[in-house]
Amino acid sequence: MIVCVAVVGQQNNPLYIQSFTEAEDDLKLHHIVHCSLDVVDERVNNPKRSGSTLNETFLGLLYPTENYKVYGYLTNTKVKFILVTTDLDVRDADVRNFFRRFHSAYVDAVSNPFHVPGKKITSRTFAERVSNIVKSFRLSSSG
Amino acid sequence: MGREVAESCIDSLLTEMVSSYCNHFYANKPELAARRIEAIGYQVGHQLSERYTMERPRFSDHLEAIKFICKDFWSELFKKQIDNLKTNHRGTFVLQDNRFRWLSRMSPEPSLENVDSQDPSENKAAQATSMHLYFPCGIIRGALSNLGIPCAVSADISNLPACEYI
Repeated sequence: MIVCVAVVGQQNNPLYIQSFTEAEDDLKLHHIVHCSLDVVDERVNNPKRSGSTLNETFLGLLYPTENYKVYGYLTNTKVKFILVTTDLDVRDADVRNFFRRFHSAYVDAVSNPFHVPGKKITSRTFAERVSNIVKSFRLSSSG
Repeated sequence: MGREVAESCIDSLLTEMVSSYCNHFYANKPELAARRIEAIGYQVGHQLSERYTMERPRFSDHLEAIKFICKDFWSELFKKQIDNLKTNHRGTFVLQDNRFRWLSRMSPEPSLENVDSQDPSENKAAQATSMHLYFPCGIIRGALSNLGIPCAVSADISNLPACEYI
């Protein structure tokens, strides 16, 4: 089950954080997202020599904590998408699919001429699209 | 979710934008008009580069990003690639387009018979055309800065309809 998605901008400023659980542990999720930024930077700056391509957008599983798994995705414009999930077995292809749809929703939100780059994304359409994507991910991975 | 518009709409929109900024908003201050147009181009380039880099793997260095601008970005915008790319390997790139789409419909003013006013009339034509170039300069600058490369872009038209961006 997806717990939280986040979009972090180029200077590591948060652009959009949305949690999908009923509990009020927003702060803990913020903290997890924040920590995962370090892992993203480390992956980008020290590429592993053993195989993984330097130029992939999808960074894969960043790190597992006690309950959660955190996936990362880095775009060409240094915008990072973070996904926190509690699922135990998540297929790689599902997560890639999720990020692809999320990226396309993000691009549409940013193309809004009233959106100031660098500020938070306040578009309701974006929030709706994201929650639709999250719902369909939940259905596809449990089905 | 893509809807399409006729290309002549874009041409008219750009022409109108330049003329309204030059003649209407900043009537006697062409530098301010130029900066405003370039800033609009900057934001557009920013957003377009987000959209067009979606499916691609990340770039490893500046040269890759410039090549992306020359090939994919330019062909998305103008349906053709940059014809010539030169560099001095020290941070300066010259992008040359031999038939720049947005200028292809502009004719240089025929020179007047009066020999004295030859120079000013050429200057005016060149100045009017150069106003139209601030927008594409802004687009390029916006796209490059979104890819992490701060830069300055200027345009040069020595022979219409070719156009060079530096």
